[in-house]
Amino acid sequence: MIPLTLETVSFAGAVGLVVIGGLGLVICNHLFRMLLALVMAESGANLLLVLTGFRDGAIAPIIGYGPAGAPLVDPLPQVLVLTAIVIGVGVQALAVAVLVRVYRSYGTLDMRELRRRMEGEIAVAAGIPAPGSAQAPLGRRPLPPVPDYELVRRSAPVRERGA
Amino acid sequence: MTLELPVDLLFGLNFDLNLDLTKVMTANAIVLPVVLPLLAAFLMQPLAQVSRTLARLLGPLVLTLGAWIILNAWLDAGPAPFSVAIGGFAAPLGIVFYADQLALLFALAVQVFTLLFWPGLGALGAAAKADAATERQRAPRRDALALLLASAATGLALSGDLFNIFVFYELAAVASFGLVCADGSGRARIATLRYLFISAFGSVLALVGIAILYLQTGTLNLAQLAQVAPETLQGPIGLASFALLLIGFGVKAELFPLNAWVPEVYATASARVSALLAGLVSKLAILVIVRLLILVFQQPEASQLLLVLGVLGVLTGEFSAWRAQDFPRLLAFSSIGQLGLVAIAFSIDGTTGILAGTAVALHHLIIKSALFGLANRWSGGLDALTAAARGAPRAAGLFVLFALSLIGVPPLWGFWIKLLIMAGLVQGGSPLDLLALGAILLATAVEAHYLFRVALRLYQPPVPDQAPRLAPPARWDVGVAYLLGACLMVISVAITPTTEALRVLAQQTGDVTLYVDTVFPNHLAHKE
Repeated sequence: MIPLTLETVSFAGAVGLVVIGGLGLVICNHLFRMLLALVMAESGANLLLVLTGFRDGAIAPIIGYGPAGAPLVDPLPQVLVLTAIVIGVGVQALAVAVLVRVYRSYGTLDMRELRRRMEGEIAVAAGIPAPGSAQAPLGRRPLPPVPDYELVRRSAPVRERGA
Repeated sequence: MTLELPVDLLFGLNFDLNLDLTKVMTANAIVLPVVLPLLAAFLMQPLAQVSRTLARLLGPLVLTLGAWIILNAWLDAGPAPFSVAIGGFAAPLGIVFYADQLALLFALAVQVFTLLFWPGLGALGAAAKADAATERQRAPRRDALALLLASAATGLALSGDLFNIFVFYELAAVASFGLVCADGSGRARIATLRYLFISAFGSVLALVGIAILYLQTGTLNLAQLAQVAPETLQGPIGLASFALLLIGFGVKAELFPLNAWVPEVYATASARVSALLAGLVSKLAILVIVRLLILVFQQPEASQLLLVLGVLGVLTGEFSAWRAQDFPRLLAFSSIGQLGLVAIAFSIDGTTGILAGTAVALHHLIIKSALFGLANRWSGGLDALTAAARGAPRAAGLFVLFALSLIGVPPLWGFWIKLLIMAGLVQGGSPLDLLALGAILLATAVEAHYLFRVALRLYQPPVPDQAPRLAPPARWDVGVAYLLGACLMVISVAITPTTEALRVLAQQTGDVTLYVDTVFPNHLAHKE
């Protein structure tokens, strides 16, 4: 059994944040949520990085700051994490900028819809048929309307209402 | 010598070219190909306000200068590697640049290929018909991004510190996002966004890998890591760290799990940018992985992991390319397959692996860049390529030459490389190696089928009632393809000296003690 100290909990939390962020990126279809998931994953990675220099009960690594001989935290990860945070914020800001432009041209932030539009545009530009999904139903578009559950259950009188 | 040097040099250049350049012809000058493009990228915008001609010339000038400095440093230093402590702060606390033949070769390739596929050139023709004012606004931005990419890529080749490599990697990523959506089309922006998410998540994984590495060893200097790795990084934790770094840096290297961005980006970005990303940036990401594999993660499981990802990349890439219906995406998927082959080659043990890997990486760099250059005008569906050889016989001939070498038809360089890889795999002899051998053979057959299909279409007689034919590739693109084709032919003829030179390079790269002793010269004196 791993002892339940502050350090273990923090490490687990950091790894957990990365996992949550990764899952969010895979599961979400809304671009802004994907961005938030990315932010979360990045925080997890940054937390993990800063934890690598952490020592229980240590003081800030400034000479002459605390009592002489007291344990200091490792300063290097703090420098590294500063760089990593700045890079992360830069990339996220860039993502938001592109996201706004995409929303202005397409009016949606749904990843599946955007991807479909992109594939369609590529196909049109290249003069090839648009890619179909293997799961897409056969037959010509527009497809006949799918019968409503209610309509099927109470067949006769509802047909008029449906029309 | 400090980082203030390049400013002095740049201002000195205007007055007396010879004097200043001879003064800095020391090993320290090797930082200039990283620093100068960075500086020029930020000067680009103000300079464009003053003089557009000067701004347009600035990028090519800086890259030419960079190539010249690297060549000089190479000739000066001879075959021995050297290292430079940035700002005079010695390793392991300071950041070092380590320049051996492999690093110098790729740093030189960065300058030359960025110059050959300079994004501004492609827009020159289009500028006439496109809105001139928009183009005037866009050109300096695009040039600045290309310079940033060149700087970051050179840094990736030279840096000897893992966190520094991470920063350069991110810089290259951001520059490539900007370049992909530079032409401002909506679909390019969507592709960029998807690329950005995948790439940023890859960086998060790499960062976690770096954190684990630091936790285990307490250092991120590659030379010091090489010293402490045998004690601290054996076992599952070290392997987990490698896996995370491999997947993280593998995004740019188009390695198996996180490469969904490749076809979309190459289909929407301009062909020159695709050439740079597929040819150059992917190789530098692979180079980083290889350095880690050689210096830090020497356990056999790490190589096996690379081998498995390579096999999956080869199979998925080649079969997807077989199904592709347009030329850029065919090239994109084929590039995934080829980079899988590079990964397989580097996973072979010892000097043979490094030799084969470097050779196949260079081969792909030459060929795929040239093919994307040809795809600049031929960016339509494969049907549209019918009879294109009539309009552009030279371009079609060059395509066939490159296709033959990619497949590995005997007198060409591609054949010798595949032979080398297969011999290495047979020598390895484990079931996994033999599986990889089978995958390569299968992939070669698939590759031959789809490339010959394109070649056949190029030489078909024209269909009378067909839509207007594609314009032949631009003169500059064909010229570059000629140049790269000539390189390929020269190497194919002079195969023995080339392989010998690469073998020397590979021996030097694989020598961990040499790396450590070069970065820590005092440590060597102490030992004696």
